[in-house]
Amino acid sequence: MAGAANLIVLAAGDNVGIALRDIPAGDVAATLSGLSLRAEEAIPQGHKIALNDIAAQQDVVRLGMPVAITREAIARGHLVHVHNVASRYLNNDEDHYE
Amino acid sequence: MSSLAAATREPTAPAVANRMRGYARQDGRKGIRNYLLVAYLVECAHHVARVIAAPYQQGGVQLVGFPGCYPSDYADRVMTDIATHPNVGGVLLVSLGCEEFQRAKLKAAIAASGRPVELLTIQACGGTAGTVTRGREWVERQLALLKGAPTVPVGLSDLVIGTKCGGSDGLSGVTINPAVGHACDLLVDAGAAVMFEETCELIGCEEHMAARAVTPELAEVLRGAVRKADEYYAALGHGSFGGGNIKYGLSTLEEKSLGAYAKSGSRPISGLLKPGVRPPAGGLYLMDTVNDGPVRFGIPNINDSQTITEMVASGCHLILFTTGAGSVVGQAVAPVIKGVSNSRTYRRMEGDMDVNAGTIADGVETVEEVGRHLLDAIVAVASGEPTKSEALGHQEFVLAYKTYDPLGPGCLPV
Repeated sequence: MAGAANLIVLAAGDNVGIALRDIPAGDVAATLSGLSLRAEEAIPQGHKIALNDIAAQQDVVRLGMPVAITREAIARGHLVHVHNVASRYLNNDEDHYE
Repeated sequence: MSSLAAATREPTAPAVANRMRGYARQDGRKGIRNYLLVAYLVECAHHVARVIAAPYQQGGVQLVGFPGCYPSDYADRVMTDIATHPNVGGVLLVSLGCEEFQRAKLKAAIAASGRPVELLTIQACGGTAGTVTRGREWVERQLALLKGAPTVPVGLSDLVIGTKCGGSDGLSGVTINPAVGHACDLLVDAGAAVMFEETCELIGCEEHMAARAVTPELAEVLRGAVRKADEYYAALGHGSFGGGNIKYGLSTLEEKSLGAYAKSGSRPISGLLKPGVRPPAGGLYLMDTVNDGPVRFGIPNINDSQTITEMVASGCHLILFTTGAGSVVGQAVAPVIKGVSNSRTYRRMEGDMDVNAGTIADGVETVEEVGRHLLDAIVAVASGEPTKSEALGHQEFVLAYKTYDPLGPGCLPV
């Protein structure tokens, strides 16, 4: 039953997964296909978790496409978001980040 | 793009719906609504137009207009396209009298399309009270005439459908947008014309799109349209990426783009449109929503409703709108079917949402199943059932200053 999965990895080779539900810190994040890892911090629904250690200045890959560049190293199980990644295009996240 | 967006390619025409009926127009198009428009031609006439329309706004009278006082070829064109849209059965124009809008030309175009039209000039009708009285008399006469209008059968191949997202979240690109993409595949296969939009929200997807173009020339046109958007927004210093996107998990403009792009499904891209240009045949089209020429008039599309207005000007009968954070918008001329990416927002705002794709994240339904629900919703709405936003009286309409060059070569190969 798919209801057991709280994580989805959109394409093979992606280095992030997407939380299907809020995943509390310390919980296991698991996909339908059997991939699982410990969430080292809370991953809210719709947010990204690092599936492996990602070095600084590397592509964040979602659905096979680069969607951001890491500004610092991100360890497996951590949240991947505006605090540690940047756009390859236009960054305008500071002025209205609540 | 892989598994989620394009998991199935069922060649079967959807089991639709001979129940769809609409209104035959002189230009050969068919409407799925028979709305009477009250249109103000400058902001100074907005209040009067609103007061004229107010008593009838649950009865098929819709309010549209252009607020600017200075001349605009773009606004003239969009207002003409809106006033002669297949979902429109008649138009009351409300002018102050001294604005620069080409009102006589607009009135003539509406009359030439076979629709009843009246032009009231507030300065010549005794001001607010006199114009409201005369306006309501005209509206009531026309509503009575529209009531008995004959209908004809409508097929999916008669329809033009627009897709749009607003308030996207991290699940939009996982659930509702791929489901819309699947619905678009089914629609294209059935002969409908489908358009996706917002070149500024496709930044990062240009090469993938180019690979789907039906000709190499169109591929370069698509790349160029995204390049134009990237340069335009860089000059403005502000992209189409905002606080709500970040709050719900999107980290960059290109990540948002990837999710938005999933709405386009997997079929070949047949052409590039600009506002007011209609798809020449069935198929999938990209709408270029960014000004041509130097940066002027500010942000090209100030909100979701302005983009929807442009898609409706290009003939969309209805709009598939997706949201994660929870948008409530409708539209004055084309019904809006709203799909939501997650069950939390759906439960919070069920009264505004037509389709819940949170079931995909919940593991209850597949992308393809929700795509079918969207198609079912289109058939129901094209058969006369009101969408949630229609039933709630939503009539959003936004038109602002823009400039466009004519379509260049290679934009519409077919």
